[in-house]
Amino acid sequence: MNIRKLAWKNLFRRKSRAVFTGLGIFLGIGTFVAIASLTAQMEQAVRDKLDRYGANILVTPRTEDLSLGFGDIALGGTQVAHSRLTTADEKAIRGIGMKERLRSVVPFFMTAADASGKNLVWMGMPGTEIATARPWWKFTGAPFGEKGEVVLGSEAAAALDKGPGGTVTSKGKTFRVAGVLHPTGEKEDGMVIASIADVRSLAGSPVGVTFFEVAALCKDCPVEDIVAQIGDALPGARVSAIRQVVESRKAAVDQFRKLGLGVSAIVLAIGGLMVFVTVMGSVQERTKEIGVLRAVGFRRKAILSLLFWETGWVSLLSSVSGALVGVAAAMLAAPLFGVEMAEAAFFPAILGVAIGMALGLLGTIPPARRAAALSPTEAIRSL
Amino acid sequence: MNPFIRLENVSMLYGNNGVSAAALRGVSLSIDAGEYAVITGESGAGKSTLLTILGGLQVPSSGTVLMKGVDLSSLSADRLADFRRETIGFIFQAYHLLPYLTARENVMVPMSPLRTGAREKASLADGLLSSVGLSGKEERLPSELSGGECQRVAIARALVHDPSVLLADEPTGNLDSATGEQILDLFSGLHKAGKTVLMVTHNRGNLMRATRSIRLHDGLVAEDRG
Ligand SMILES: Nc1ncnc2c1ncn2[C@@H]1O[C@H](COP(=O)(O)OP(=O)(O)O)[C@@H](O)[C@H]1O
Ligand SMILES: [Mg+2]
Repeated sequence: MNIRKLAWKNLFRRKSRAVFTGLGIFLGIGTFVAIASLTAQMEQAVRDKLDRYGANILVTPRTEDLSLGFGDIALGGTQVAHSRLTTADEKAIRGIGMKERLRSVVPFFMTAADASGKNLVWMGMPGTEIATARPWWKFTGAPFGEKGEVVLGSEAAAALDKGPGGTVTSKGKTFRVAGVLHPTGEKEDGMVIASIADVRSLAGSPVGVTFFEVAALCKDCPVEDIVAQIGDALPGARVSAIRQVVESRKAAVDQFRKLGLGVSAIVLAIGGLMVFVTVMGSVQERTKEIGVLRAVGFRRKAILSLLFWETGWVSLLSSVSGALVGVAAAMLAAPLFGVEMAEAAFFPAILGVAIGMALGLLGTIPPARRAAALSPTEAIRSL
Repeated sequence: MNPFIRLENVSMLYGNNGVSAAALRGVSLSIDAGEYAVITGESGAGKSTLLTILGGLQVPSSGTVLMKGVDLSSLSADRLADFRRETIGFIFQAYHLLPYLTARENVMVPMSPLRTGAREKASLADGLLSSVGLSGKEERLPSELSGGECQRVAIARALVHDPSVLLADEPTGNLDSATGEQILDLFSGLHKAGKTVLMVTHNRGNLMRATRSIRLHDGLVAEDRG
């Protein structure tokens, strides 16, 4: 028998005691890991949700007078029809170095054209991208699903006096009104929105693109780099980050991260204290045994190494299981907190095990030193 | 020749918060190698205090303890631990076995900081257990042994490092008289084998076995017969 075996036997044959100590560490570390993982997952979820919310980069032709807003474009439709961007540019954008950061690249094509006798701006976009590019849109009726269908902005619908199921004619073609857009407060309230192919054919511009809206994933927000890369890929285009969007996302995520860190720190302090106190208690309890070991000739170092082996084993096993259960609990709890696709967060688990071990060993020192400072007689008398 | 153990004017005061009680009040004593000394005296006379000081389990408030020419008060805590391990076997009234270890493992405890091989340690322990009459009970836990058997395990543990001095504080105090006699027989055997034995006891019959009888009264040696 050696010190290590002695430690192991003490743990193994006094299971309930070891389990009690382990439970303190398990709960302390488990709670910390669960909370820290959960906040990490929630932070990721907040980020993902924000990323899903519209575009943060706009690609327009450099040659256009860019002081033109949508309103001005409406007045100068022919100008837009001669846009220098084309469908080929989409490939270039999707080919940049950071292409895996691009969540969506959506082409828009705008033109002014007749709509049942009124000159309105037609906005063309791929119907499949409505949910991506305009997730906030709500319709009475349905979004346009196929060629030959349109959605009317609320003001356009009022001006034309049309609703879902009606028709709009333009240049000899008839379009079915699939739905009416609820008021958005934006220019599109006055527009006719249709599939990009339909709007292009009205303008006679089969590959034209007025602008691209690019949604870049905002983790660490390398938007400036992405802007630069798209600019290099499309020398003729003007590429700009929509600063307001980028900054407000950053602020929201930062705020959430601070909250998560704060909560984790508090839980860590409580959990750490729990580990420290249970380990201290379990060593204190053994003062008498320490006295006996000293009486039979154990040096203080031998006592310390015995106790370190013991608390080392308990801390390792219980903080590892606490961390595993913590990660699992965070995964299970994640849906309750609005995290849809929870990914296991391993950093808090590794940190938790390290802290459990460190505090377990640290908690051994004060009572072990106290016990070793007593004479064997005093230690044996203590109860 | 220098005596094997020598106490010079040893005093022990307990308690340091104002009220202090003197357990020993200037004890001087010499014990030669190979003696079997019995220490008697009423409860509270200072017998246990004297024995623990002799065993290096605590240091006196004043006075000198010399054993084999070594001044115990000059030793660091670790050197004192080494000295205890090499020279002294201590046997307590309450056995003080580790409850979670088998008889064999309890005997092996004093060897656990050493690098000796596990087999060697175990066979030494088994030999000692058989010498105290516990063959076949090596795997028992203290809770599965009688009081007399526990004390035998404790004696075997005290013998692990072949100490020259055995200190026993009322080793039969928790045992019935027949069992106590058997334990005392063990000590007589160890004394015959050359060990110096110092034993605190209330057992009158024990005086017959001893070569020397020391009676303490109120922290002083009241009687010393060789
Ligand atoms: N650790 C201690 N703290 C305070 N007083 C003690 C301590 N140990 C012993 N005493 C006191 O010292 C005196 C002698 O004790 P002890 O040596 O145990 O006597 P004995 O073994 O002869 O009964 C007693 O009065 C006892 O109460
Ligand atoms: Mg006593």
